[in-house]
Amino acid sequence: MSFARALGSPGSQGGRAITGVVVACAAVGVVAICAGSTGWRWPWAWDAMVGDLRAPRVLLGGLVGAALAAAGVAMQAVLHNELADPYVLGISGGASVAAVASLAVCPGVAPGPAAAVGAGAAAALVRVLARGPHDPTRILLAGVAVGSVLGSATGLLLVLAPDSQLLRSSTSWLFGGLGTPSWSALIAPAAGVAAGIAWLWRHARRIDRLALGADAATALGVAVPALRRQILGIAVVLTAIAVAAAGLVGFVGLIAPHAARRLVGQPHRALIPLASLAGALLVMAADAVARTAFAPRELPVGLVTASLGGPMFLWQLQRGAR
Amino acid sequence: MTMPGARPATATEPIVEAAIEATGVAVGRGGAPVLAGVDLAVAPGERIALVGANGAGKTTLLRALAGLDRPLSGQLRWAGRPLPAGPDRVRTVGVLLQGEPASRFTVRELVTLGLGLDGPAPAAARRRVDDAIAWAALGGLADRPCQALSGGEAQRALLARAVVAGPRAVVLDEPTNHLDPAGRAMVHALLDRLRGQVAVVIASHELELAASCDRVALLHAGRVAALGPPAEVLTPARLAEALGVQIRRLDDPAGGPPLFRVVAPAGARGSVAAVAPRGAVAPRAGDVAGGAA
Repeated sequence: MSFARALGSPGSQGGRAITGVVVACAAVGVVAICAGSTGWRWPWAWDAMVGDLRAPRVLLGGLVGAALAAAGVAMQAVLHNELADPYVLGISGGASVAAVASLAVCPGVAPGPAAAVGAGAAAALVRVLARGPHDPTRILLAGVAVGSVLGSATGLLLVLAPDSQLLRSSTSWLFGGLGTPSWSALIAPAAGVAAGIAWLWRHARRIDRLALGADAATALGVAVPALRRQILGIAVVLTAIAVAAAGLVGFVGLIAPHAARRLVGQPHRALIPLASLAGALLVMAADAVARTAFAPRELPVGLVTASLGGPMFLWQLQRGAR
Repeated sequence: MTMPGARPATATEPIVEAAIEATGVAVGRGGAPVLAGVDLAVAPGERIALVGANGAGKTTLLRALAGLDRPLSGQLRWAGRPLPAGPDRVRTVGVLLQGEPASRFTVRELVTLGLGLDGPAPAAARRRVDDAIAWAALGGLADRPCQALSGGEAQRALLARAVVAGPRAVVLDEPTNHLDPAGRAMVHALLDRLRGQVAVVIASHELELAASCDRVALLHAGRVAALGPPAEVLTPARLAEALGVQIRRLDDPAGGPPLFRVVAPAGARGSVAAVAPRGAVAPRAGDVAGGAA
């Protein structure tokens, strides 16, 4: 089976787009490994700086970006809203309050696992609050409300903290940061992200039908409630993995699916891999900028994705309007 | 041209089960019945219209016949069986609903989704998609996103999606709603090509479309008030009672479907001539019912 056929695209547009983004990812990955706050190093040097610090961090950035972008595609299909992002189910609020609480109680422990638990708990709470017949608007509103309340709780924790250390340690997490992961720390997130994206890709044609709306999908042979539950579950897990690894990295789950959709349209067989690669590309590039723009100081990667992604998104919207 | 995948009835073919059969069905929203005691068997290849005022239960019944909502009571069967799941479902009943927003899918992608496949479409299925697109006169627009189509083209694309799998029956909710005269004529022509090949159930306010069907079910007061050939059901008296308007029926001398003209609310008193424009031709006796009858 040809690459284009495997992507479900009768022409080769999907295949060409994915090939182009793979090449771009490889190029950006190499540049991101070479560039850093301590200066440029060629990859063949492969010393401790390149092999143990930069390379795993770049790879983690790619994983986080791919997870957020795939979760964004999934959320948008279930909620029939292209503005839905991976954090829409109150996940950012849940992750924030759990991470800050973890840093307050156990300052020496990485807040990632607690954040993932908080993200999952917030998503479960939103589903309970929006129970009943599936209503995307009600889910979105419940997500906004839960995220807002938990965001306020996070602010309260930071304001009431007895010293400023909690604020400092939380800031880098709340705005996203990839840190210095070891190779072994990448195994679990890599496996989880690969499995989640593979599941979504395998069910891409059913997601296509779901994206038409519940009635159309049902008429076209999809067991809609079960598929929705499965997709939302996968999206929450992918987001929780990203949050646990890198904190809150905004805009990726919104802009990567949008950009990919402009290239290959709606068929999820091509959209899911392309958006995942675009997300990986965006976070790897943003992290390279975060490490080098104000070297030796490092910016939170979430600030860079938002400041790069926002204008790019607006530019795309303007171009689409013409 | 024959509809792709159609199953034309032949003289040697044995009598088979109704394409859709409702027995003692009650349907409603939120547990409250809108229609009760519905007994309706749609024969293979037959075209039936559901006619009634807003709120009479046309769409509610149609959704049940499409297998989208469970009836509150009674039994529904499709070709003598419960509605199957997966790709068998789209080969049993095709559905066109009102208000489906135009998607980013191209026409070809949208019609391919009508096959209900979870895997790649084999060559035969791709040919079937091409046939359905040609049938809907969308050959030149196959690779255009549905968002870029006119209302009439988008409706034909949805119609092609509903029939591409070769279902035994299709159910259509207001297929000509919001279409201009040319768009309505195109949909009428496509439905005429299905005649005798696929059972069609249409919910519509367009009485001319209903009059072109084999039978009409007139829904009123929570039940099927009349079921039979259009000439017997779409009478001014029955329409006045069910729709609340005085309607003038203009029969086509050439034998085509009649035209219907609303002349006054049913509650209006006085002669039709009194509400008709000056110089309008007076209807024949018995052609108008309702307040003036």
